[in-house]
Amino acid sequence: MGSIEKQRSIIDFTLASLLRRKGKNAAFLAVYTLVVFSLASVMFFSQALRKEAVALLADAPELVVQRMVAGRHDLIPLSYVEKIRDIRGVRAVRGRLWGYYYDSLSGANYTLLVPEGFTWGAGNIAVGQGVARSSMAVKGDVMPFRTYDGRLARLRVAGVLPSSTELVSSDLILLSAEDFRILFGVPRRVATDLSVEVANPAEISTIARKIAMMLPDTRPIAREEILRTYDAVFNWRSGILLLILSGALLAFIIFAWDKAAGLSSEERKEIGILKAIGWDTGDVLAMKLWEGASVSLTAFLAGVILAYLHVFTTSAILFEPVLKGWSVLYPKFRLTPYIDLAQLAALFFLTVVPYAVATIIPAWRAATVDPDAVMRG
Amino acid sequence: MIELLNVHKTFNQGKPNEHVAIRDVTLAIASRRITVLKGPSGSGKTTLLSILGGMARPTAGRILLFGREITSLPERFLTEIRRGTFGFIFQHFNLVMGISVLENVMLPAYPRGESHLLLRQRALALLKMFGLAARSAAPVEGLSGGEMQRVAIARALINDPQVIIADEPTAHLDTGLSAEFMEQMARLREEGKTIIMASHDPLVCEAAIVNRVVEMRDGRLSAAGVLP
Repeated sequence: MGSIEKQRSIIDFTLASLLRRKGKNAAFLAVYTLVVFSLASVMFFSQALRKEAVALLADAPELVVQRMVAGRHDLIPLSYVEKIRDIRGVRAVRGRLWGYYYDSLSGANYTLLVPEGFTWGAGNIAVGQGVARSSMAVKGDVMPFRTYDGRLARLRVAGVLPSSTELVSSDLILLSAEDFRILFGVPRRVATDLSVEVANPAEISTIARKIAMMLPDTRPIAREEILRTYDAVFNWRSGILLLILSGALLAFIIFAWDKAAGLSSEERKEIGILKAIGWDTGDVLAMKLWEGASVSLTAFLAGVILAYLHVFTTSAILFEPVLKGWSVLYPKFRLTPYIDLAQLAALFFLTVVPYAVATIIPAWRAATVDPDAVMRG
Repeated sequence: MIELLNVHKTFNQGKPNEHVAIRDVTLAIASRRITVLKGPSGSGKTTLLSILGGMARPTAGRILLFGREITSLPERFLTEIRRGTFGFIFQHFNLVMGISVLENVMLPAYPRGESHLLLRQRALALLKMFGLAARSAAPVEGLSGGEMQRVAIARALINDPQVIIADEPTAHLDTGLSAEFMEQMARLREEGKTIIMASHDPLVCEAAIVNRVVEMRDGRLSAAGVLP
């Protein structure tokens, strides 16, 4: 009970002390919060994006086979389908049709994809939210396209894709195989690539090797590899942002170290007075620890909460261009809140602990002087 | 009763700026008396006061407090004894600026872990005794010299110590306030407190209420007179 009362009294005094230098401490707290906010925003955002990508790719085929010509991705003959299907362990093989279309009217690039079981029929398309916005198309409108040989193709918007999938479907146009072939002049005997379903996931790499040996002009890509590429891209982007932020972070560290590590003569005198009137070294250290903890915990909590709101309610409006990519068609979407506790703990140890330590060391040095220094000084 | 036996105090021992502040002092301070250490600047009064109050350790010699040796106690225990036994009044008052009068008075009691409410009541009672009840919430920097002195006395009394130690207590007070201070000390002695002061102010040294004046020069006791 006594020790609780003692800590309560020390905390009371610590808070009263902090309030004495209101302006200085408030400015420091604001900068500290801003740093935590920036770091936590990048962390939350890249984590949530990665999580989203993993969830979306869960439905992707285990293996994609592309044909390579002169080191570049080329159309793949559908005759390869039979050959691959004969490999033991392959459950199904399908030719996929997809490509990119540049719309000179809106200045945007669309992704055109022929989905399996396209229900709207030839002459119809379904568009993503971004496409609908940029071309101002609503259900029932007709969108003009220019075919590979310069003719005009008119396709009716039969549906708009739901906004919940917008991160990946923003620039997407779904259409029938016939329309796709007309639009791009893709012959019937070829596809963009082949998707391969494998019965046993443990056999994916063996099957990929067999395909590569049997069809030397192809490149099999496993879903895991795509995930790794996504990971690398997100890591790279958050890396760039962190690099930009590191300047600010470094300035903050120097500022915080200076603030925490250097005791002013006024503070030093105060510690002397406290010792002279009966506080021991431990009491002074407890006071400084409470001071460091209250400042850094407030900044940490405020920074993390602001970052959470920033990322999950405003879709990281401040970091959008860097983290999502540069494009005319920014997807508008709301990320599913996801917090990695391990990363949050790492952030805590990187921001709160160094500050608390930086506050304690000089206080300890000042607190170990003889209390009679005050009498002599 | 506080006893010093062959006490020496050397600062910066073994360094070029070595300074011997106290040389072989043996002294006994009686309880419930007012004792004044008198001497010119640099005579070692303040250092001796620090040693008597357990604030500084002697380089050599022994200190006995009520018959118990405290010379080589670890810092924690010494601080505990100091907190419970001594109340200090400093020459420059040494109040903590920016916080209220009441908080300043309560500060020495915080490490004891008593109930905040009881402590507050005791501090308010002390402030009332010194005529400062109305100023309890005011920040200390707005106080006059006399008021600061009274806050410093109230702070020294918060832990109900047996011994009050005052270093040059009248150095920043005019004649009227100095006389008032001496009256307060007389009252505390009547209440059973032991008072030890360091001063070269005649208003203190020659005051009728002083029981004993110990004269110091160059770190030694030059004469010890006992007044009734």
